[in-house]
Amino acid sequence: MLSENEIKILDFLKTVKRSNSEEIANKTGLSISSVLSLINLLAEKGYVRVEKKVEEYYALTEEGKKRKNEGLPEDILINKLNGREEEINNVKTMLGEDFNIAISWAKKKGLIDIKEGKIIPKISSHVSEEYYALFNLENANKNLIEVLERRGLVEKREKIIILVELLKEPEEITPTISNITHEILVSGEWKKYKFKKYNVAAFPPFFPISKKHYFKEFLEKVKDIMINLGFTEVNTGYVEMEFYNFDILFQPQDHPAREIHDSFSIEGMGKIDNQDLLNNVKKMHESSWKYEWKQEIALRLMLRSQSTATTARVLASKPNPPLKVFTVGKVFRPDAIDATHLIEFHQLDGLIIDDNFTFRDLLGVLREIFYRLGIREIKFKPAYFPFTEPSVEVYGYLEKLGWVEMCGAGLLRPEILNAVGIKSRAGAWGIGLERLAMSFLNINDIRLLYSNNIEYIREMKVNLW
Amino acid sequence: MVTIILNKNKLLNKLGIDEDLLENILFNLKSEMKMLDEDNLEIEINADRLDLLSSDGISRAIKGLLERELGEAKYKVVDTDYKLIVHNVRSRPYALAAVVYNANIDLQELIQFQEKLHSTIGRKRKKVAIGIHDLNKIDTKIIEYKEIPTTYKFIPLNGNREMTIDEVIYQTEQGKLYGKLSIFDNLSPSIIQSDGQVLSIPPIINSEKSKIDERTKNFFIDVTGTSFDAVAQTLDLLVTNLAESGGIIGKVKIEYENKRVSNVEYSPLLVHKTISVNKNYIYNTLGIDKEKDICRHIMRMRMDCEEYGANIKVIVPPYRIDIINSIDIVEDVAMSIGYNNLIPSKYLISNYGNYDYTTLLERRIRELSIGANFIEIFNFVLIKESKLFDKKYIKILNPISEEYNAVRNSLIPVLLDFLSKNQHAKFPVRVFEIGDVVIKDDTTDTGYRNDKRVAYAIMDSRVSYEDIQAPIHYILSSMGITPNYIETNSDIFIEGRVANVLYKNQAIGILGEIKPEILLKFDIEYPIVMAELYVTKIMELIRV
Repeated sequence: MLSENEIKILDFLKTVKRSNSEEIANKTGLSISSVLSLINLLAEKGYVRVEKKVEEYYALTEEGKKRKNEGLPEDILINKLNGREEEINNVKTMLGEDFNIAISWAKKKGLIDIKEGKIIPKISSHVSEEYYALFNLENANKNLIEVLERRGLVEKREKIIILVELLKEPEEITPTISNITHEILVSGEWKKYKFKKYNVAAFPPFFPISKKHYFKEFLEKVKDIMINLGFTEVNTGYVEMEFYNFDILFQPQDHPAREIHDSFSIEGMGKIDNQDLLNNVKKMHESSWKYEWKQEIALRLMLRSQSTATTARVLASKPNPPLKVFTVGKVFRPDAIDATHLIEFHQLDGLIIDDNFTFRDLLGVLREIFYRLGIREIKFKPAYFPFTEPSVEVYGYLEKLGWVEMCGAGLLRPEILNAVGIKSRAGAWGIGLERLAMSFLNINDIRLLYSNNIEYIREMKVNLW
Repeated sequence: MVTIILNKNKLLNKLGIDEDLLENILFNLKSEMKMLDEDNLEIEINADRLDLLSSDGISRAIKGLLERELGEAKYKVVDTDYKLIVHNVRSRPYALAAVVYNANIDLQELIQFQEKLHSTIGRKRKKVAIGIHDLNKIDTKIIEYKEIPTTYKFIPLNGNREMTIDEVIYQTEQGKLYGKLSIFDNLSPSIIQSDGQVLSIPPIINSEKSKIDERTKNFFIDVTGTSFDAVAQTLDLLVTNLAESGGIIGKVKIEYENKRVSNVEYSPLLVHKTISVNKNYIYNTLGIDKEKDICRHIMRMRMDCEEYGANIKVIVPPYRIDIINSIDIVEDVAMSIGYNNLIPSKYLISNYGNYDYTTLLERRIRELSIGANFIEIFNFVLIKESKLFDKKYIKILNPISEEYNAVRNSLIPVLLDFLSKNQHAKFPVRVFEIGDVVIKDDTTDTGYRNDKRVAYAIMDSRVSYEDIQAPIHYILSSMGITPNYIETNSDIFIEGRVANVLYKNQAIGILGEIKPEILLKFDIEYPIVMAELYVTKIMELIRV
């Protein structure tokens, strides 16, 4: 297959049979460098024979170019004098730095005499032979060239001439092109061409494709599941009062979970205007746990350590049952960071308040959530959480890990419901989402859910279902 | 969760069951077991079931579920002529004591039980401390609990010479751990014989004098602390578990110097609580059929139960300190039935779920951002405070590491941090993150609130203002928001190449080219253009 430009060259050679690289460049309008590479290609394909020849030639020096523009110094001298004698000093001013060259060549050529400090021209105008030669170096005679070379106006150079001889004509010349252009398309010229072939099996260059984040997508999927089960989404802030994170959830103020190393503390105090709520919670703690409940501890600020804090705020708002709400949110817990632990992670917290809600109903809801998350096999284990009774842990079966604890749940304790003034029964649960996501995304280091390596994120496969 | 280590074969032989059954029953008692090695079993006990922290407690519970024994375990209780005189001890005012005769114990296990009680109900000995003594090595019938000077001498447990309490506190490991908890005016609490010999220095250490060993059969137990209830419960747990191994509980006469502190006369108290529950309450809460024999299930859980028509009366034995009221009875019934025998119901109430509006807006913005060819990234909320530009941020008082000692108040530093780690990636790097930052807000009850933001960044060998302005403009336009741009000043962006993004005359974001000095601060060697949009603000403006 011959390219458009190869054909151009062969077309030219058909008429002359022999040529050289320069001539080809001139005639075809291609640059000398593309001609050189194209004739080599044609030689490889057997269309031409190529021969390399070194040729000497003369070219103007910088000085030569200057003289070609301005004239030779001796000619300028003669023409300026225009037949009159002149004081040497005046001539010096007239010619400046060319004075010496002009005088010596004019004398040598017998164009002037010098007498008593005066220059006397023998003729009134003159143009030297060498000057004409500057315009036509190729045809100048040897003597002249020698003079020019001596005067530093020309120099000898070498050039490589590639001789090209046509060996055979292409049988059928259909030119090819790389791209369709607007012009070729509308002019109809495209019909004359074939398209150059590409190596279509080669891999393409880097193409940065954008996509949604894999872990974020998992969290959104969890939200979709909850919406489809008829739950309403709620959200609250990361900064929380111990009151909503602990106190209202029946966690005594000296509970180990409230020790300094189990949650992140923040300077400052929150405020709660609902005095009844504060009193009820105080009463609940003091009658059940037998200690003096302190409001200033409850109002301390922290980064929420469980998304149940969000549920607690819903409870405190005295909602009207039946109610089904959920939240997917971040929680914070001090821990050593490694492949299975982070200090911030997500939980799905859910709350159902309904008059006749039962423990078995709760188990049913949990089973349904896990089924939709893709966990088809679960079992229930009795558990202990301060705010629920009965309490249950849900274990799910994962292909690679076996039975894994996935969720804590239970019916909210009557103490809590009494404190917030809710008469119906209520069920609540919290599911850690990172471990589930790791399982679904086939990730074995929890830190990769928050990878800060763009190439890892770029290469992450999208979950199809 | 608390873990204990027990000898597997001893336990299995005592119960006459195999390993699988043990595992299954433990699971249904909120506990999990795994083999540590050939002989030893590690069992995880849930924090509420402190009665299961010894093999005796575990076998008591299992005998119930296997129906070998039902109802409360009955232990023999006898009077003794031992007396504990409780003086005024300011740092830990409560003390009780008991005697146990003829207990058949495994020394290691008993020490483990004591330690686990210390760390749980004892709150690392702050609330409760336990002294267990060889009764035969105690010389006087009257024991006193009182403050003694820290210059007082005794031989501490496993010691070979007399030491002052001060020496114990400053020179021994135990002393360093617990010494600070109870010393007051150079006085320390002590359990001391009436002849002046020290038996223990709560909560630090016992005396070598009354040390127990494998041969010890008869025990004297003192429990001291800051909460009377916790002290009484701890003693009840100890003596009932020792009695389960065959011991006989001996009552000690208690004499409080100050009757206002306590008027108890004998200990252990062996507290029994009575809870009346309506049977329907149990049926309805669990959602189970009304044929189930509730009392039998209660008795399988080693509590006594009597029926009175529609009600039952549950007598909660001293070892079940976790039972507070009727809802706890409900859970025990469920555990006896077995959670996995409770068939999950098909609970549905017909209503529709609703997304939070912010979630919906966030999803739209994410789609448009992908459309504008930004790849989504997801970073931590916690950050190193020195990386934050706006100095109004939340500092964590007890950070776990310097890298995460503040809460982000903007996504710009988060993205710069990310980019600094990706300078060798294939260019261009075009990323965005949408997420919450936390900012000060005096109108909320905590004084802070979450603010949803989205930030964009492009890092390439050459970038300019329009590279970021154009996509932001068309993302906003696609949401029906036509923004204006107004030149602004910034510490982060280059002067003359930074604009506030305005909508309805309010700032909804900022965009521009990052200053070289900021890039260098983050060790970045390539130019970056960025934008941050305030999603919460946008939400406010478009939802009016």
